[in-house]
Amino acid sequence: MLTAVTPPAPPRGRRRFAFAPALLALLAASASVGLTASDALERRYTIAFANLTDEPGVTLEGTGFTGREVRDSFVLAARLLPVDLVLYDNRRDPRTALANAADAIRRKVDLYIQYHHDATTNAEVGVRLHAANIPVLAITFPVPDAPLYTADNRAAGRIAGEALGEFGARAWRNQPLLAIIVGNVGARDDRVPERVQGAVDGLKRQHPAIRVVTVDSQGNPARVGELIGRLVASQPGKKLLIAALDDASALAAKSALEAAGRLSDGAIVSHGADRSIHGGVSERKEIDPSNRGSIVIGSVAFYLDRYGYDVLPLAVRMLRGEPIPPRTVTRHKLITAANVFVEYPPYDMN
Amino acid sequence: MRFTCSLAAAFLVFASTSVALAQSDCSKIVPPSPWGPNDQTGATNRITPAVTKAAAAEIQEGQVVPMSYPLTDGIPLFGTRFTKSILTATSLAPGAAFGENQLTYMEDTWLSQSHVGTHLDGLGHIGRKDCYFNQIPMGKFINQNNMTKLGLEHIKTFATRGVLVDMVKVFKAAGKFKGNSACKRECLDKGTVITGADIQAGLKMYNVTLREGDVLILHTGWGNLFEQFPAQNATYNSGEPGIGKDAAHWLVGQKIVAVGADTWAVEVIPGEDPKEAFIVHNILITDAGIHILENVRTDLMAAEADRTRRATFFFGMTVPKAVGLTGNFVGIEGIR
Repeated sequence: MLTAVTPPAPPRGRRRFAFAPALLALLAASASVGLTASDALERRYTIAFANLTDEPGVTLEGTGFTGREVRDSFVLAARLLPVDLVLYDNRRDPRTALANAADAIRRKVDLYIQYHHDATTNAEVGVRLHAANIPVLAITFPVPDAPLYTADNRAAGRIAGEALGEFGARAWRNQPLLAIIVGNVGARDDRVPERVQGAVDGLKRQHPAIRVVTVDSQGNPARVGELIGRLVASQPGKKLLIAALDDASALAAKSALEAAGRLSDGAIVSHGADRSIHGGVSERKEIDPSNRGSIVIGSVAFYLDRYGYDVLPLAVRMLRGEPIPPRTVTRHKLITAANVFVEYPPYDMN
Repeated sequence: MRFTCSLAAAFLVFASTSVALAQSDCSKIVPPSPWGPNDQTGATNRITPAVTKAAAAEIQEGQVVPMSYPLTDGIPLFGTRFTKSILTATSLAPGAAFGENQLTYMEDTWLSQSHVGTHLDGLGHIGRKDCYFNQIPMGKFINQNNMTKLGLEHIKTFATRGVLVDMVKVFKAAGKFKGNSACKRECLDKGTVITGADIQAGLKMYNVTLREGDVLILHTGWGNLFEQFPAQNATYNSGEPGIGKDAAHWLVGQKIVAVGADTWAVEVIPGEDPKEAFIVHNILITDAGIHILENVRTDLMAAEADRTRRATFFFGMTVPKAVGLTGNFVGIEGIR
């Protein structure tokens, strides 16, 4: 997993110039063994990524993405960068997280990426790595004094709310509307309440007086059907704008409307855009170019399966001494039947 | 009022017709063919008599090495793709033979998609928007049965030199080999990016350089999963090692006619950029008219190259003159 740690990067500015003769000699030597100039000059970095959890099936951040998908995104993104990855599994466990940081210090990694939910542990990890002169980059859960990469739940919710609001204004003008927010509404660790607030803000842009009902699944999408079914039955004649807080809840809500014979009264926008809701050409999932009439209008992408592509370049910039912002957020986008194959090109064709 | 409505209706009809007939400006999307504006042949233009004659020098022992996998039920396919044959054997029934000589006969109906098994991607297989090789706006040249431009009938015969590069050896020699435990023989893992430098390192191993008109065959070992069909079909289709954009651009500069591999797409999957779809196919087929050969059996030739320290061979491949097809399954032999 770990390759030999290479010498530190050449310092910037005047000292780099001072190294020029040495670099020229290195170039000459490398030419004799068939290496290119870029091979010789490329500085490789050893970067540790401590994942929240690698446990199969465990989903993260109130979405349908798993830790395995996050980890794989780092492995794939590292292919294009001068990076040797050291992968750790924090197992959602403070003691494991501390042990992982200690191991990375022993290995003298160049940078540590911490993805762990416990604030106290993150503070301790930050102190230890700082003492070892190893820079830290945090994902989702802050580490003191470290740059943070995170989803923007409020912005994502707003995108969902606005999409629903615009649909309602366009399709159901002058008809009685009810907004429903369904999912694990109280999941503070996953910042779902921010998602809820964003969705409300977005809905109210088009419909300032709309009534919003929250339906709390308490993290169990299997409950969504029953809860939505009961609510829908009590709202005859209403058009329903449903912001589902995750994709599983969206699909369950759709099934509930179908069972109640109310499909034509509902529109759903979800959060996550995980593989349960979109897929390849042959898979024909809910969000698919051939399913443009679905009442699931779309899902706001959280891109946990691309975290590595966003985070590793930030890490490399830090190691090269370039400034990076203290907080970088995911650029969320609404994935619909019209753009799903652009955002997530399928590869099940040959 | 009626007049106004008529005008509006006429405008609508005109507007919708314009939209329906709208074509991309392919001169801005795809480069022109170096063989002229009417070219539909692409890189096989490079297979000249001189190229074929030079390739014949590779036949030294008369040994024929199969480079195709069997095309049969259970091989890896995606989704609803299929290849199926139906045997007609009615004359084998008692009393159904013909004449005093009791002649019987059988024949097949083959229902199959063309891009199955060991197969060639033709120039009409991959485009950008509606623009295909040589800036052809393909929307104007298709009907419900086939293409009326860029069909397989335009390809020249593949009688040229083949060059095998053993990527397993390259990655092991470079100390960057990462395998997959599902392979019964060594294979590069899916997602492994093969660069132009990797290919050059592999050529150097056998002291060979590419020349104009060659077919390059890459052995990644991934084909071992195909050989295990159907047990490893899902793993085989889940991704693959393959060339990245850097290698594709380098190969275009080498003026080869085709690149093949023991994988289902030749290019690395997952791709280098998750928002790009089969970009290497665009670089090779759409932009350069270079064919892609998929699911090529490479293990036997890799073993021969390893045994004899020679990685070149006469590349013979049968492509039916199937008018208007985008590709087809093929038989490939490497002759040495």
